[in-house]
Amino acid sequence: MTTTHSPQTGAIPTRPAVRAGAAAPATLVALEVRKSLSTRSGKALAVVSVLLAPVAGVLASAASEESLGSVTGPIGAMGMLTALILLSLGVLSTAGEWTHRTVQTTFLLTPRRGRVLAAKATAVALLGGAFAAVSAGLTAGVLATMEEGVSWSGVGGALVAVVASGAAFAVIGAGVGAALTNTPAALTGLYLVILGALPVARTFAPEVGARLDPAEAVLALAQGNAVASSVAVLATWTVLALTAGAVVTSRRAVA
Amino acid sequence: MITAHGLTKRYGPRTVVDDVSFTLEPGTVTGFLGPNGAGKSTTLRMLTGLVPVSAGSALVDGRPYAGLPNPGAVVGTLLDASAVHPGRTGRAHLRLLADAVGVARPRVEEVLALVGLADAGGRRIGGYSLGMRQRLGIAGALLADPPVLVFDEPANGLDPEGIRWLRDLLRGHAARGGTVLLSSHLLGEVEHTVDRLLVIGQGRMVADGSVATLLGAEGAVVRAADPARLAAALEAAGLPVRHGDDGALVVPGADPAAVGAVAAAGGHALVDLRPVSRHLEDLFFSLTA
Repeated sequence: MTTTHSPQTGAIPTRPAVRAGAAAPATLVALEVRKSLSTRSGKALAVVSVLLAPVAGVLASAASEESLGSVTGPIGAMGMLTALILLSLGVLSTAGEWTHRTVQTTFLLTPRRGRVLAAKATAVALLGGAFAAVSAGLTAGVLATMEEGVSWSGVGGALVAVVASGAAFAVIGAGVGAALTNTPAALTGLYLVILGALPVARTFAPEVGARLDPAEAVLALAQGNAVASSVAVLATWTVLALTAGAVVTSRRAVA
Repeated sequence: MITAHGLTKRYGPRTVVDDVSFTLEPGTVTGFLGPNGAGKSTTLRMLTGLVPVSAGSALVDGRPYAGLPNPGAVVGTLLDASAVHPGRTGRAHLRLLADAVGVARPRVEEVLALVGLADAGGRRIGGYSLGMRQRLGIAGALLADPPVLVFDEPANGLDPEGIRWLRDLLRGHAARGGTVLLSSHLLGEVEHTVDRLLVIGQGRMVADGSVATLLGAEGAVVRAADPARLAAALEAAGLPVRHGDDGALVVPGADPAAVGAVAAAGGHALVDLRPVSRHLEDLFFSLTA
């Protein structure tokens, strides 16, 4: 159904004022934030990433009669859940552009593709960190309301770990999405590796988890265990994903 | 000004664009023609940096596209009207582009009105027809009112009114000193819009010239009250004659003025005298077959 009005004819208005130079990095980051939140899938991911952990916390607290001991474990577990959702946010920000071919317009207006990927990584890191912070705060509120006699020692470190993990997972998703340039492939591949291959491998070689599994790294970080190696695992995933994404982004033709 | 020099694109052993060169001057609308798979879209994508070149170069205002400080302010591009997120509204899409280019928000409303989408701007693009997506793409290209427009098949999906509007838009842009490169398979539309033609076939440029030159006269067609007498007079004057349809005489390679002079000298009454012009379709098929 075409419901257009007649286009205007006659003289085109005076040439508008246009920025002379390239967009500033902050402008590009703000654009990418708006892109991520301007679609139904982006909005849904934002809501789910914020609410899933506290809702799961309510259900777990209601169902369990055992004392938790410390809140750092539940906050870490719920933070891991949030981080796994934020992987998708990152994937959609990069692979989604190739899937919908909007990458064409993006690169036409900002041909220096490295700037685009840097802006996307920064944007999803900010969004991931923010959503993880809100989610972790709500989860802590749920625990404070529903659990009695638990230890709150180390909760500050756990919250920092969850926020940092949320940012890191979103960036990992953006990097893998940029490397694969295909949303279903990136999502399936990431979740198969993190939720399938690594747990299976861990049953045969438990040290694999400590060395490779980013989800386990989130749990360990939140509880203040193996901090250096957990940070190294998350950093390695982040750097490898972004490097692969940068290589493909810089070379791939937009057909 | 746009300059392409020796543009070449190879995918492995296959060469899809081979040594394509041209220069586009301000104030002109240039048609870029070729059959499907001839290399038109790849050439446009190399021009705008979307596809890396295997050899050659393309410059916009003396710089590679990627070297322009704010490319959207210099080149308005519509390469694929369906390259939009169906979940965004037309207005949201244009606002993102406006911020990327660096134009103020009110300009979005101006271009929406300009392309006839003012009332549809709040709807999701997924519900747009192809013609509406073309209009949206054109609106995006016009946001900064850039001096250069590069459109790939912009008339696809447009109704006759839209095609006429597009023709006026492009001609008006050139009249204001702009440069337009228009790729289209709608030969009739191109013929009525462009000043100059680039024809590409199997990846190579097969014609580059003004419409007048490429479609220009190849002889004269004349109708007379007494065709047999006029034919004899023309033959006697050294102008070979073929008998065409409806009693018309075709004089290959002759200037109509020369034919008229022979007729006047012999006192022949003429009913019709005009140059023989090729149609763009004939030219297209002869060059790209």
